[in-house]
Amino acid sequence: MLKIAVSGINAVDNPGPGTGIMRALKESPLAVRTIGLAYDAMEPGIYMDGIVDKSYIIPYPSGERKSFTTRLKYIHSMEKLDIIIPALDAELPVFMDIATELESWGIKMLIPDRHKFNLRQKMELNKLADAIDIKSPRYFSCTSYDDLHRAVNDLGLPCMIKGPFYEAFKAVSLSEAEGFFIRIANKWGYPIIAQQFIQGEEYDVVGCGDGEGGHLGLFAIKKMTTTSLGKVWNAISIKNEELHQTADRLLTFLKWRGGFELEVLIDHQTQAINLIEINPRFPAWVYMSAACGVNLPERLVRFLMGMDYERTSDYRSGRIMIRYTNEIIKDIKDFENISSLGELENNIEEETC
Amino acid sequence: MNTEKLVNLAVSDTGFIFDPTTGQTYNTNALGMEIIRLLKKNCDPPQIIEKLLEQYAVSANELELDVMDYIRNLKNFHLLS
Repeated sequence: MLKIAVSGINAVDNPGPGTGIMRALKESPLAVRTIGLAYDAMEPGIYMDGIVDKSYIIPYPSGERKSFTTRLKYIHSMEKLDIIIPALDAELPVFMDIATELESWGIKMLIPDRHKFNLRQKMELNKLADAIDIKSPRYFSCTSYDDLHRAVNDLGLPCMIKGPFYEAFKAVSLSEAEGFFIRIANKWGYPIIAQQFIQGEEYDVVGCGDGEGGHLGLFAIKKMTTTSLGKVWNAISIKNEELHQTADRLLTFLKWRGGFELEVLIDHQTQAINLIEINPRFPAWVYMSAACGVNLPERLVRFLMGMDYERTSDYRSGRIMIRYTNEIIKDIKDFENISSLGELENNIEEETC
Repeated sequence: MNTEKLVNLAVSDTGFIFDPTTGQTYNTNALGMEIIRLLKKNCDPPQIIEKLLEQYAVSANELELDVMDYIRNLKNFHLLS
């Protein structure tokens, strides 16, 4: 039985990828015990029987490093973890810093190093787009209203206002841009990115780099509908050779290690591929790739554990993902355990007389 | 005309069209399906009009307007170039 810890189990309207990763692992032929790493007692993944076997609350990665590693050490002492799959952008730098220490405990991770991580930051996208021979929207990094005004003046309206890690909004007026600027800065800090708006369709490619320029499979979608935060809500699988080749060039250039999501926009007028973002981990919709035959979380685990794995990208186009909302009804005891003790075991059979 | 993209389209009997490279979907009627079928066979507009005149009770002028309008739409959707 492999013990695999996954973070990002906040399956809310801005969903983390954790529960999708664990669902893909649970539906694979691997025998897996899934451990959820949660930052808050109300993260829905904590309560998902059949997907998350046990959850632990961990300290926020922005806090003291020592308390983070101490907590992981405790979890490891309880679970004897084989693998951790970090699934949130903001925690990746911390996991990079402690990767050697975790490895010394016997825990494997497939994550990029800091240099590669920084190369795909939003402020570096133009250089990266040039390197892999695709276009990218013009942008400005802003840390003040003055910067923002200059940027909007240059880019014109509408334009996109984006946070350093998360959230993106389309602003149709300067006052709206200012509103998004302060809203994102209060939540995520600086710099705020003001980016040229391009009319077109949004496409994503999910994959997993092997660290040597190759991959463990690719899977592409067209976004059909998105939430107000720009998150995929409905999607359709596509087979687009040009997108796969773009992802190939990206991997060759970055020698990326771990899950990633390549977000592009195809210009309605010119049909040119524009690089929008590279997320340094699996996206929340990663389960769709598994359901369509390219189980990337399973392949990542097999790769790390030295097991046989596939590298093919064989899947059907025209499969649709429909995300929906649901409710889980649990006993207050579960909330008590996670909030008081910081851990909760799911799937425990009630003792009966 | 370059019909490479049309060849890849999945067109169902109901007129539902799926482009597997872009994920775009469209709906068309029986006449549209017939025009796409003939374009896929590399028929040019005069040949398409000639074949459709055998099937539809309509004047050549009216049919030519409809066919050329349809081809313009296919080009707007980047399905034909």
